[in-house]
Amino acid sequence: MAVDKEFPVKIAGKGVDIDYGPRRIVEKLDLEIPERRFTALIGPNGSGKSTILRTFAALMKPSGGSILLDGRDVMELSTRDVARKVGVLLQGPVAPEGLTVADLVRLGRYPHRSIFGRWSPEDQDACDEALMLTGLADLSDRALDSLSGGQRQRAWIAMTLAQQGEAILLDEPTTYLDLEHQIELMNLITRLVAKHGKTVVAVLHDINQAARYAEHIVMLKDGRITAAGGPETVISSETIADVFKVKTIVIRDPVAGTPLCIPL
Amino acid sequence: MMRIVIALTLLLCLLVAASLAFGDVALTWRELYHVATGTDAPGPQDAMIVFDLRLPRTLLALLVGVALATAGTISLAIMRNPLAEPGVLGINSGAAAAAMAVIVLMRDPPVVLLQVAGFSGAAAMALAVYILAWRGGTSSLRIILIGIGLSSLATAGTTFLSAFGDIGDVQRAMIWLAGSVYDANMIKVRLLALWLVIPVTLAFLASRELDVIRFGDSSARSLGQPVDRVRGGMIVLVTVLSGAAVAVSGLIGFVGLVAPHIARRLVGTASHARIFPVAALVGACLVVAADILGRIVLPPVQLPAGIVTGLVGAPFFAYLLWGRRNGRG
Amino acid sequence: MTGRRPLRRTGAEGRRWLAFTALLCLLVVVAMSAVALGTITMPFSTIAAAIFQFDGSRGHLLVTTIRLPRVIAALLAGSALAVSGAIMQAVTNNPLASPGLLGINAGAAFAVVCLMTVFGSSTGDIYIWFALLGAAAAAIVVYALGSLGTTGQSPLGLVLAGAIVATFLTSLTTAVLIFDQSTLDAVRLWTAGSVTGRTMAQARTVAPYILTGLVAALFLGRNLTALSLGADASRSLGQNPVVWRGVSIAIIILLAGGAVALAGPIGFVGLVVPHIVRMSVGIDYRWVIPFSALGGALLVVTADIAGRLVFGSQSFPVGVTIALVGAPFFLYLARTRLKAEA
Repeated sequence: MAVDKEFPVKIAGKGVDIDYGPRRIVEKLDLEIPERRFTALIGPNGSGKSTILRTFAALMKPSGGSILLDGRDVMELSTRDVARKVGVLLQGPVAPEGLTVADLVRLGRYPHRSIFGRWSPEDQDACDEALMLTGLADLSDRALDSLSGGQRQRAWIAMTLAQQGEAILLDEPTTYLDLEHQIELMNLITRLVAKHGKTVVAVLHDINQAARYAEHIVMLKDGRITAAGGPETVISSETIADVFKVKTIVIRDPVAGTPLCIPL
Repeated sequence: MMRIVIALTLLLCLLVAASLAFGDVALTWRELYHVATGTDAPGPQDAMIVFDLRLPRTLLALLVGVALATAGTISLAIMRNPLAEPGVLGINSGAAAAAMAVIVLMRDPPVVLLQVAGFSGAAAMALAVYILAWRGGTSSLRIILIGIGLSSLATAGTTFLSAFGDIGDVQRAMIWLAGSVYDANMIKVRLLALWLVIPVTLAFLASRELDVIRFGDSSARSLGQPVDRVRGGMIVLVTVLSGAAVAVSGLIGFVGLVAPHIARRLVGTASHARIFPVAALVGACLVVAADILGRIVLPPVQLPAGIVTGLVGAPFFAYLLWGRRNGRG
Repeated sequence: MTGRRPLRRTGAEGRRWLAFTALLCLLVVVAMSAVALGTITMPFSTIAAAIFQFDGSRGHLLVTTIRLPRVIAALLAGSALAVSGAIMQAVTNNPLASPGLLGINAGAAFAVVCLMTVFGSSTGDIYIWFALLGAAAAAIVVYALGSLGTTGQSPLGLVLAGAIVATFLTSLTTAVLIFDQSTLDAVRLWTAGSVTGRTMAQARTVAPYILTGLVAALFLGRNLTALSLGADASRSLGQNPVVWRGVSIAIIILLAGGAVALAGPIGFVGLVVPHIVRMSVGIDYRWVIPFSALGGALLVVTADIAGRLVFGSQSFPVGVTIALVGAPFFLYLARTRLKAEA
C-alpha cells in the first residue's frame, strides 16, 4: 500500500480474514495505518468498514491473519494493554441512565488503574484535558440524558481521549451531529493529529469530509481495499463509480484545495 | 453520600434495637438498655430472651439482607437488565426445587439437610446456567435466556411435587420457601458472617469492574476489560452470596431486586463503590424490619420475613420510585 | 430501493408462509389427536360424528363434554399466552418480560385464593370471573403506576411497577395459603396450570375475550415492531409510544386474563414461546404474532397429550409438562441461535 515513508506503521493487518457467523466478510486483507496521521475508511454500506475497525481494535478476533500494533500481535497483548494504546468509539453507544459527563469521562481511565489504585493527579489531568479539548468543561456535571445528541457524542469522544491511547478509532463519529459540530469534530481530530501526535482512524460516510480532512484514505468494497493513499490518489470519478455505483465529477475544493466530488 | 450512609446506619441501629425489644415479651427501652449493659441486675429471663433468642435472629436477618443486596447489585450490573435479581441465574428456582424435594420425599428432614439442599440446588443451577450459556464466551442475553429455560424446568419439578405431595409437607415447604430467620442461633450467625466476609469484600473491591461492564460488552472490552472473566467471577460471587442466604433463611425475595434500585436512587448510578455500601445497608434494614413486622403484626403467629418484604417492601419501593419524584415535580 | 420491496425478499416471505401453513396443519393434526387419544381411543369418524351428528351416546358424550372442551381450552390458553407474551416483550423491550409481569397471574391467583378462603372451594364457575377480574385489576394498577410521572415515560417504569405489584400480590397469596391448608389443597392444582375438567361453558365464557385479543394483536403487529425498537425509534417513526403501549396492554389483559381464568397461571408459555419464535422467524412482529399464536397452542396441546399419555394421569398439571416439553427445545435454541455479542 502507498504509505508515506516518513510515517511508520502504527497498526497493520496482515492477511486478515473476518467471519461473521458462517459468512466471510473480509478475506486476506492487508492494511497499514500510518502513525500520527488521520486515516479515513470509506465505502458503501456493508463494505466491512465497521467490522474492520472493530477487528483492528481487537474487539473481534480475526479468523485468520494477524493484527500488529506497534509491530506486536494484538492477540498476545492483554485487552488492558490494547486499551491503553488504542481508544475506540463505537456506533450508538448506550450509557446507563443518570450518569454525568464527568462520570463517563472518568471511565476512560479504567485501563490505567489497578484494582487498588487510587484516583491519581494524572488521571484527573487526563480527564480535564479531554473535557477541555471537546469543549465540555462547563458541562461536566450535567447528566448525559439531558444533553443534545452532539454534546453526548462529544462526551463519548472525551471518554476515548481520557484513555490517552496513541491511536483513536472512531466508527462514524459525525453521524448524529449537525454541520457545526461535524466541522468542530473534524477540526478536533486534525488538532489531535497535528498537535498531540495521535493516530486517528475514522469510518466516515461523507466522501467529501474524508477528502477534506483525512490525510490517508482507504476505500473499501465487499471487504476488499480498492484504493488507498492520499485523497488525490483515491478520490476520482472512476474509483467512486466503481465502489459507490454513483456517477460524479471530481473538482478541486475552492477553499481547501482537496478533491471534491459532486454527484451528477 | 456520607449523610446517607450515616442516616441508614442510624436507622439500622434503631431497627436492631427494636428487634431486640419487640416480641411476645415486650421490653421497654430502659429494660433493653439495662440488659445490654448488664447493669441494674436485670431478670435472667430478659437477658436470655435478648441474647439467646432475639440477638441471633436479628443479626442473621441483618447478614442475610447484606448478602442479598450485594448479590442483587452485582446481578443488576452484569445482566444490564432492571429485572435481573439473582433469581435470574436460576438460584431461587434451584433452591426451591431441592428444598421441596427434600421435604416432600423425606418427610420431616433435619434442618441442616434442608440448608445443604438449598445451597446445593442454588449452586448447581447457577453452574448449569453458566456452562450452558458458555460458547467461546458469554453474553448477558444468553445467560438470561438459559436462566429462564433451566428455571422453568426446576419450577416444573417444584410444581409437580407441590401438586401431588402430601398437603402437610407442601405447606411446610411453602413456609420454608417463604423465607424466615425463625430458628437462628449464634453458631449460625458466626458461620454466615465468616462465609460472607470474603465475597462481600471482593465485590466491593471489584466496584470499578462493575462500573465498566455495565456499558455493554463492546464498550467494556474497548476500555480493556476482560469481560468474560469478570462476568464469570461475578457470577461466582452472586452464587456464593445468595446461595448462603437461601440456605439459612429460605427464599427472601424482592430484597435482591429492590435494594440496589433504592441505592441507585439515593447515590446515583455512577459508581458501585458508592452503591455497594448503601445497598447493603438498605438490604439489612429491609430484612430486619420485615422480621420485626412479621413478629408483631399477628401475634402469636409469625409471618415469614420473606412475605413481609413483599408486603411492605413493595409499596415502599413504589413510593420511592413515584411518590418522591412527582412530589418534586 | 425505497418504496418497492426488493425481489429476493419474496423468497423469505414465501418460506414464512410455507412454514406457517405447515405449522397450522401440524396443529390441526395434533389437536385432532388430542381429542382422539386417551384411555379410550376414538376414531376420527366418531369425533366428526360427535360434533356434527350428536346422538347422545357415551362415546359422543365423552368427546363433546370432556375431550373437546379440554383441547379447546388448551388451544385458547396456549395461543393467548404466547401472543400476550410477545406483545409484552415488545412493549417493555425486555427479554425477561411476560404477561405475569403485568401482575396478571398474581392478580388472578390472589382473587381466586380470596374467593376460596371466604366461600370455600365449591363455588362452581364463579372462580373464572374472579380470575379474570383479578388479572385485569392488577394489570390496570400496574399500568397506572407505570405511567405515573417521569419514570412512566420509559419501559423501566412499567417493568418495575409490574415487579412491585406482582411481588405484593404473591406475598399476600402466600400469606393466606401458609395458614389455610384447605384452600391450599383446593387451589394447588389450579396454580400449577391445568386444563383438566374444563367444560364447554367455561371455554365459551372466556373465548370472546381471547379471540378479540388475538384479532387485535394481529392488527397490532406492525406497530409492535417499531415499539420493540424503543420509545425513541417508535416516536421517530411517527408513533405515539404511550398510546400504543396502552393499546397493547389492553390486548394483553384480554388475552392473558382469559388464559389464566381458563387454565391457571402458566408462566412458561408467555415467556418462552415468543423467544423461540423470534429466534426462528426474526423480529418482524407481523410474523411473530401469528407464529406465536400457533406455537403457543401447539405447545400446550402437546404438553396436555404428554401428560395424559406418558404420565397416564388425567389430572397431571399441564403447567409441568409444558416446561418439560418446551424447555429443552428452548435451551437448545438459546444456546445455538444467539451470537456471542448480544
